Amino acid sequence: MAVCVAVIAKENYPLYIRSAPTENELKFHYMVHTSLDVVDEKISAMGKALVDQRELYLGLLYPTEDYKVYGYVTNSKVKFVMVVDSSNTALRDNEIRSMFRKLHNSYTDVMCNPFYNPGDRIQSRAFDSMVTSMMIQVC
Amino acid sequence: MSVPDYMQCAEDHQTLLVVVQPVGIVSEENFFRIYKRISSVSQISVRDSQRVLYIRYRHHYPPENNEWGDFQTHRKVVGLITITDCFSAKDWPQTFEKFHVQKEIYGSTLYDSRLFVFGLQGEITEQPRTDVAFYPNYEDCEAVEKRIEDFIESLFIVLESKRLDRATDKSGDKIPLLCVPFEKKDFVGLDTDSRHYKKRCQGRMRKHVGDLCLQAGMLQDSLVHYHMSVELLRSVNDFLWLGAALEGLCSASVICHYPGGTGGKTGARRFQGSSLPAEAANRHRPGAQEVLIDPGALTTNGINPDTSAEIGRAKNCLSPEDIIDKYKEAISYYSKYKNAGVIELEACVKAVRVLAIQKRSMDASEFLQNAVYINLRQLSEEEKIQRYSILSELYELIGFHRKSAFFKRVAAMQCVAPSISEPGWRACYKLLLETLPGYSLSLDPKDFSRGTHRGWAAVQMRLLHELVYASRRMGNPALSVRHLSFLLQTMLDFLSDQEKKDVTQSLENYTCKCPGTMELLTLPGGPTLPPVPFTKLPIVRRVKLLNLPTSLRPQKMKSLLGQNVSTKSPFIYSPIIAHNRGEERNKKIDFQWVQGDVCEVQLMVYNPMPFELRVENMGLLTSGVDFESLPAALSLPAESGLYPVTLVGVPQTTGMITVNGYHTTVFGVFSDCLLDNLPGVKTSGSTVEVIPALPRLQISTSLPRSAHSLQPSSGDEISTNVSVQLYNGEAQQLVIQLENIGTEPLETLEVTSRLLTTKEKLYGDFLSWNLEETLAQFPLQPGKVATFVVNIKVKLDFSCQENLLQDLSDDGISVSGFPLCSPFRQVVRPRVESKPVNAPEGGKPGDPSHMKTLEAILNFKYSGGPGHAEGYYRNLSLGLHVEAEPSVFFTRVTTLPATSTRQCHLLLDIFNSTEHELTVSARGNEELILHAGECQRLAVVRRAEGETWLCRTKHCAD
Repeated sequence: MAVCVAVIAKENYPLYIRSAPTENELKFHYMVHTSLDVVDEKISAMGKALVDQRELYLGLLYPTEDYKVYGYVTNSKVKFVMVVDSSNTALRDNEIRSMFRKLHNSYTDVMCNPFYNPGDRIQSRAFDSMVTSMMIQVC
Repeated sequence: MSVPDYMQCAEDHQTLLVVVQPVGIVSEENFFRIYKRISSVSQISVRDSQRVLYIRYRHHYPPENNEWGDFQTHRKVVGLITITDCFSAKDWPQTFEKFHVQKEIYGSTLYDSRLFVFGLQGEITEQPRTDVAFYPNYEDCEAVEKRIEDFIESLFIVLESKRLDRATDKSGDKIPLLCVPFEKKDFVGLDTDSRHYKKRCQGRMRKHVGDLCLQAGMLQDSLVHYHMSVELLRSVNDFLWLGAALEGLCSASVICHYPGGTGGKTGARRFQGSSLPAEAANRHRPGAQEVLIDPGALTTNGINPDTSAEIGRAKNCLSPEDIIDKYKEAISYYSKYKNAGVIELEACVKAVRVLAIQKRSMDASEFLQNAVYINLRQLSEEEKIQRYSILSELYELIGFHRKSAFFKRVAAMQCVAPSISEPGWRACYKLLLETLPGYSLSLDPKDFSRGTHRGWAAVQMRLLHELVYASRRMGNPALSVRHLSFLLQTMLDFLSDQEKKDVTQSLENYTCKCPGTMELLTLPGGPTLPPVPFTKLPIVRRVKLLNLPTSLRPQKMKSLLGQNVSTKSPFIYSPIIAHNRGEERNKKIDFQWVQGDVCEVQLMVYNPMPFELRVENMGLLTSGVDFESLPAALSLPAESGLYPVTLVGVPQTTGMITVNGYHTTVFGVFSDCLLDNLPGVKTSGSTVEVIPALPRLQISTSLPRSAHSLQPSSGDEISTNVSVQLYNGEAQQLVIQLENIGTEPLETLEVTSRLLTTKEKLYGDFLSWNLEETLAQFPLQPGKVATFVVNIKVKLDFSCQENLLQDLSDDGISVSGFPLCSPFRQVVRPRVESKPVNAPEGGKPGDPSHMKTLEAILNFKYSGGPGHAEGYYRNLSLGLHVEAEPSVFFTRVTTLPATSTRQCHLLLDIFNSTEHELTVSARGNEELILHAGECQRLAVVRRAEGETWLCRTKHCAD
């Protein structure tokens, strides 16, 4: 159901990005890259006051003609961006939320791996298969 | 209305539009000179009142946009200024005719017009005319500004009269219906008497009056009118005009809230040149709205029908939040009309500018997102570029740099769209360059050398590829080489193997036409492209300056060294100095290089590419000393491990030399890689002292070279080793040829020797020489040879090995009690290779266990030339390996009583184990000749207890 899933480091470079239609991967790169503007804006708008009870889910970042881009930011400012097909009306906010939560959990597992060097590209197979499951699920 | 003005901002609603146009042939330069002067008069405070008029000048305005002037009066061209050249009175009527034609174009809306004639002189100019001004030439026209001010005042008079006219005739005659061009046909045959229609007319007129008030500088009045208009139009669902009324309301509020302006560049203009800046500021400060109630203005000019509105003045102005809501509402109304696309688009742009001021980027991005989807008719390519550029600019304004870069890139791509017959690669390239910050990409490789990679590699790579392509199509191969080098250098970690191959392939293609250099490239726009050194091709891990080989290493004379230290500081120890020295030591290496001698630097490099990397012209970059670098070429296998490379060079002068880096040529790109900029390079210091030139000595000897290498204790290395095998007691001459192979004369020579094996008891001089003869040949000029002779004598004690003695003793006398020591034996044998084969049973003298080894080092300290004057010398060591074999054995010792009781005969059976004839001589006895393998008895008279006896073997000529 997700068309593209990306994990972006605090310094705004991709740690992981995968898109379902592989032929036009760069399009999604651009889409996710530009969505960071909105993420930045939303983060700065939230301010520092409510750090502990901050909502990690950022909601819809922006809609395009064919896709909707959703964002999620962890407490360590790692961003998750998910692009879904806008024709897919079955996806409600709640589903997106739970997908992000799954993604976050899986990401935490990756970070727990003592052999993973934070800041490197994510090459974990478990993470990859989880993303795959999110991409094909429902469809 | 089809051409959107993307530069519009909310405060443009209060401006009067004046078109300035040339008529006939006016050079662009002259026209814009005058245009600039005219447009400097953008703000006029009308006399007798505190109102300010704002003028917007255009030198080009599509007449179809003018047709929307009733809808929003700031779109209406109210003034026309024509500029023309006219040099003779004969042309004058024609010129004047042209002015009238020009006037016709905007005729329906013009309040007034002016013609500026340049060049005409004579009686025509004498006629006083208000609408024509004559100037002799473009330089001599000081009065232009004054003229314009007068002109604007005349515009104001018309405006004011119109405003009053429209405002008062409210209830009298029938109010005409204002409409936009595309509406006209809709109203044919409509019942003009219905309430609905009347209300519509009223509402639209109100809105129109509001516009006029706004233009006339009566902000508060306009707000009131807009509010009323909104009420009226809402009740009749006249959406298009309702939108316009709302937008007018927003514009007036924006002007009220943000006197600095929202359009950026206009903001600066607003106060400058104003005769009452303080007052203007007061007027617009939101908190000081009471000042706005300008009683004078109201009583004298403002025949305001709605005096009741005075009460709600402060309320009339929308709050910042409301402005945005109303904009949203207005835009939603506009969007109902396909023909109002331009209006909608412009409203979006205006709203974004306001939001940018309010720092509400999220809302602004929504407006922009909407603007992206507003579909105007089929746009020309140029318009598309303009549209994308302005979107990019607006995104930049609200701080969405990535989005801005995205649209700029789209605009750049549009410049070279396949549908364009003449692609604008230059424009494309320029726009692409502007997108760089948005992708957090700078073209300076230094920014990438430290730490982790910044930014989004995939999109950065794409952009770099596009830059390469655009610059190539622009016909600037140097630029493409630079960009491609940058791509390769900074994105190496992100390129796949295939991409690496492709990139290097195309780089090689480009560089064969235009080699990459280390020069700063200046771009057409002014910025420069810093050079891109290939520090990753190959990657250097360690840089180590190598000392000279031991034999060439310069050494300081001891006494001078002491002096040197003492000049540095009078203190033996000072913590401050020690600290300084410590730092210095980090950088400086404690050996010296010698001028004129080849010096080496070792680099550990590796090739990160999946194919063989050819590095050409690799040499050292140094400073401080003239250094002749001898470049090397190397070929590194694919993904090699650490690979040592030695770079060499010859220092030509003396002083402190610093190795700053190295230069390479890879794929046709020259790179100067400085060590300071290299991450992760281990270096043990890079500064070394170069001392003046010293001679070089080469020695060759008469003896064969030895396979043995001495193990010197004190660490000094031996350049040559020679070995010789001698019989005990033998002496030999070692002839050493000293050749000066350097370029400096050899002036001094000192020879010392050092014996390495000390456990053997050695009799007499092992090595002896006479240096005087050699020194007589000095100074030794380059290329000359001197000889030096060393005498080797071997006198060793082999006594403990004489086990033959026991084996051969036949008379039962125990010899163990005898303090028997071997006599001195002297054997001088030139031939040593043959070993005694006919040795008697039991003992093999040639056996290694019977041989003794003597090792010595001959040190040649030499100096000369300028290095000598500085107190340096060189040390050359010759290793000498001597194997000594025993020559004679005592096989039996017996005693016989002699004639005197105080004497006895000592009988020694002497065995010659060599295959040469020997002479044995004992003190006081005759000489005994021993043939090879022979054993003879020697009798010695022993005179007294404790007296030693001597037995001497002598050389026997073969």
